[in-house]
Amino acid sequence: MDFDFTEDQVMLRNLVREFLTEQAPVKQVRDMMDDALGYDTTVYSQLMGLGVTPFPESYGGGGLGMIEQAIILEEMGRIPYPGPYFASVILAGSALMHSGDDNARARYLPDIANGDLTATLALIEDAVDWTPAGIGLAVTHDGGDLVLNGIKRFVPFGQSVDVVFVAGRAPGSSGADGVSLVAVPRDAAGLTVEPTTMLDMTSKVATLRFDNVHVPAENLVGAEGGAAAALEETLRAAAIAAAAEMLGASRKSLEMSNDYAKVRKQFGQFIGQFQAVKHKLAEMLELVENSHAAVYYAAWAVDAGAADAALAASVAKATLNESSKRVCGEAIQVHGGIGYTWEYDLHLYWKRAKYLEPLYGDTSYHRERVLEESLAQHAAS
Amino acid sequence: MDLNYTAEDQAFRATVRAWFEENLPTEPLHTLEERRAWHRKLYEAGFIGMGWPKAYGGQEARPMEQAIVGEEMARVNAPAGVGGLGISIVGPTIIHHGTEEQKKRFVKNILTGEEIWCQLYSEPNSGSDLASLQCRADIDGDEFVINGQKIWNSGAHISDWGLMLARTDRSASKHQGISCILIDMKEPGVEVRPLKQISGSSEFSEVFFSDVRVPADNLIGELNTGWQIAQTTLGYERGGSTLSRVSRLQVQFSRLLEVVQSLEVTGGKAINDPVIRQELGAIAADIEVLRYASLRILSRLEKGQRPGPEASIAKLHYSELDKRVQEIILDILGPYGQELDNIPEELRADGGGSPSGEDTAGSWAYPYVWSRAGTIYAGSSEIQKNIIGERVLGLPKEVRADRIAAAQPKAGTPAGEGGQ
Repeated sequence: MDFDFTEDQVMLRNLVREFLTEQAPVKQVRDMMDDALGYDTTVYSQLMGLGVTPFPESYGGGGLGMIEQAIILEEMGRIPYPGPYFASVILAGSALMHSGDDNARARYLPDIANGDLTATLALIEDAVDWTPAGIGLAVTHDGGDLVLNGIKRFVPFGQSVDVVFVAGRAPGSSGADGVSLVAVPRDAAGLTVEPTTMLDMTSKVATLRFDNVHVPAENLVGAEGGAAAALEETLRAAAIAAAAEMLGASRKSLEMSNDYAKVRKQFGQFIGQFQAVKHKLAEMLELVENSHAAVYYAAWAVDAGAADAALAASVAKATLNESSKRVCGEAIQVHGGIGYTWEYDLHLYWKRAKYLEPLYGDTSYHRERVLEESLAQHAAS
Repeated sequence: MDLNYTAEDQAFRATVRAWFEENLPTEPLHTLEERRAWHRKLYEAGFIGMGWPKAYGGQEARPMEQAIVGEEMARVNAPAGVGGLGISIVGPTIIHHGTEEQKKRFVKNILTGEEIWCQLYSEPNSGSDLASLQCRADIDGDEFVINGQKIWNSGAHISDWGLMLARTDRSASKHQGISCILIDMKEPGVEVRPLKQISGSSEFSEVFFSDVRVPADNLIGELNTGWQIAQTTLGYERGGSTLSRVSRLQVQFSRLLEVVQSLEVTGGKAINDPVIRQELGAIAADIEVLRYASLRILSRLEKGQRPGPEASIAKLHYSELDKRVQEIILDILGPYGQELDNIPEELRADGGGSPSGEDTAGSWAYPYVWSRAGTIYAGSSEIQKNIIGERVLGLPKEVRADRIAAAQPKAGTPAGEGGQ
C-alpha cells in the first residue's frame, strides 16, 4: 500500500509545473481570453515536446499512465492552462487508443504527440446526455464516402482544431448499438463552426453543424457501429482528467487564500486569526485533501485495471464537482472585495472549475452511476 | 503509487477472517464477565494491543495489520474488547512515562482486560479548554488528596482504575500546574454516576471525588508535567481504526441498499425514487472517498510517518461525514428510521442477522444519535479546525482572553489547544 507518488511522478510534476509557470504565466492566460485561437501555439508545441502523453512510444508518445495524466492536468488546473491538451490528448487521444484501430492510431497519434496536429472529440448534442442514447448525429454511406448530418455542442476547441472525431450513429439504431466514430477535418465542406464564448473565457468551445459532410470511408475509426465501448473508456479518462484539473484549481485557490489570510488585517488583526476565516480555510483543506485521494485513487484504478475503476471514476468526478466549486468559491469569500475584481486571478480558477463541472458527467449523472455500481457490487457479494 | 494489498496482507486478512468466522459469539454479550471472556479470547488470538511493544506483551504489528483486524471485526460486527482506553491511551502512557514498578503493576492487566481503565480528563467547566481544569490533588505527606468532579468518563462505571489530570499547583499558569495521577476507582470518596445521554443509554459517567487519598507513588512522570504528558502523541494503535470506520459505514450502507428495495414511499419503491437514488449515490461516493483517504493515511503509517496535526483532518472528515450519512439515512427511511422497536423485519438496520454486536433491536436511530457524539468527543470539530488552521495551514493564533490574561502579570506561556 503506497499512496505517494514515485520519484518519477514527482519529477514529472515538477517538470510540468516549472514549464507552465514560466511559459504560460497568468498574463498570457488572460491575453488568451479574447484571442480567437485561445492559446499560444509555440508554448503548446514546447509542452508536447516534453513527451507528456499516454500514447505508446511506438506512436511517439511518452507511455504515461492515468496517474501521470492526472498529475499533468492538476498542474494545468493551477495555471489555468488554456491550450488544447485536454481536447487533443485526453479526448481525441483516448478515443483513438481505445478504438482498437491500428491504422487510425498510426495515422493520428504521432502527430498529436508531437503537437503538430490538434484534435478534439464531438460527443454531446442539444441534449446534455453522456450516455450513447444522447448520440443522434446520423452517419450514412454514399458510394465510398461517409456522410454526416446533425449537430454537436460544447466541442472543446472545436473552432480551431485540425481534426474532429465525431460520434454518430447508423439511422434506426439505438442505445450503444450503431455508434461510430468518424474523423472529420474541421474545414470539411458542409461543416459550420460556431464558436461560443463561455463564462470561463479561457476555455474555447464551439457548436458544430454537419450538413451532408462527406469524408472518405477510411476516416472511420474502429469498427462501424462498434464505438460505444471506446467512448465509455474515453469518458472515464475525461472524468478523471477533469477532476484532476479541478483539483489543481482548488489547491491553488486554497494556497492563495491561506497566504492572503496571513497578511490581510482588519480590526487590528490578521483575518486568518478569526475563527470564521480560519475554520473556513480548514474546511477547504479537508475538501482538497479528500479530493486528492479521490482523484488519484481513480487514476490508479484505471492503470491497475482494478475492478472498481468505473466506480472510482464516478466517485472522483462527483466529488470534485462539489468540492471544487466550494473551495474556489470560498476562496473569493475569504478575499472579500479584492477577490471579486477582474484583475485578481481567483475568478479564473473558479470559472475553470465551473466550466468542467457539467462536462463528462455532472454530479447527478455520476451519483446515479455510483449507485448503479454499488447495487451491482452488492448483488454480486 | 500502488494501492494493492500485498500478498502478505491478503494472507493475513484470510487468517483473521477465518478466526472470526470460527470464534464470533453467536449470542449478544450481556454481562461484563462475558465481555471479559471475549476480550481474553481476542487477546490470546493476538488482536489486543497489536501495536504495543513486544516487551510489554504486544505484537509490534504493522499499522496495516491493525487496520485489517479492525476492518474484519467491523465487517462481522464483532463486539469490541473491554477497556479500549486502557489499550489506546493509558497503557502507552504508563509505558512511556511510568516507573518500573508502575509498569510491572499495571501494564499486563490492561492488555488482558483483567483491569479496566477510564480516562479522568474533562470537567463540567473544562471541555475544549481542558487545561483550565480545576479538580485538585493536594499533597499531604506521601499522599495526594483529591477533590473535584470529572465528566464524560467513558466506561467509568465498570472501571477499576482511572488516569487523571488534576491541578497540583494553583499558583502556576494553567498549563504548568497539572499532574497525571493513577486513581483506584474503588477508593472511598470516589462516586461514579452514570450520565444518561440523548441516546437514552449511559456509556459515559460523571465521577465525584471527595477527599480521596491516593499514594504519591501513583504520580506518573514528574509533578506538574501532566499537561505535557497528556499532549504527547502516544499510542501504538494508530492503524486500528482507519479501516474499521469505513467498514462500519459500508456494512450499514449495504444493508440500506436492501432496505430501500422493500421500503415503499410516495410513488412506489424507494429504490425507484430519483431523489432517493441521488441521496444513495451521494452517500456511497462519500464513503468511498473516506476509504481512499484512509488508505492514504495507512500508506503513511506503513512508512513509519507519525500522523501529526494532519490527524485532525481525518477526525474532522470521519465524524462530520458520519453525521451527514446518518441524517440522509433517516431522511430516506422516514418514520421507520426513528423506530426504536417493533421494526418490520425487512426494514431493520441489522437485517435480523447480527446477534453478536450491541443489541439495538435493529434500529437505525441509534447510529443516528451516536453520530452527534463524534463531532464533540476527542476534540470537537471546532477544535480540530483550530488545529488544522494553526498547525497545518500555519495561520496565526487567535486572540484569546486567557492568553491576554496570562500575558499581563508575566511573560506568556506557550499554549496549546485542549481536548481529549
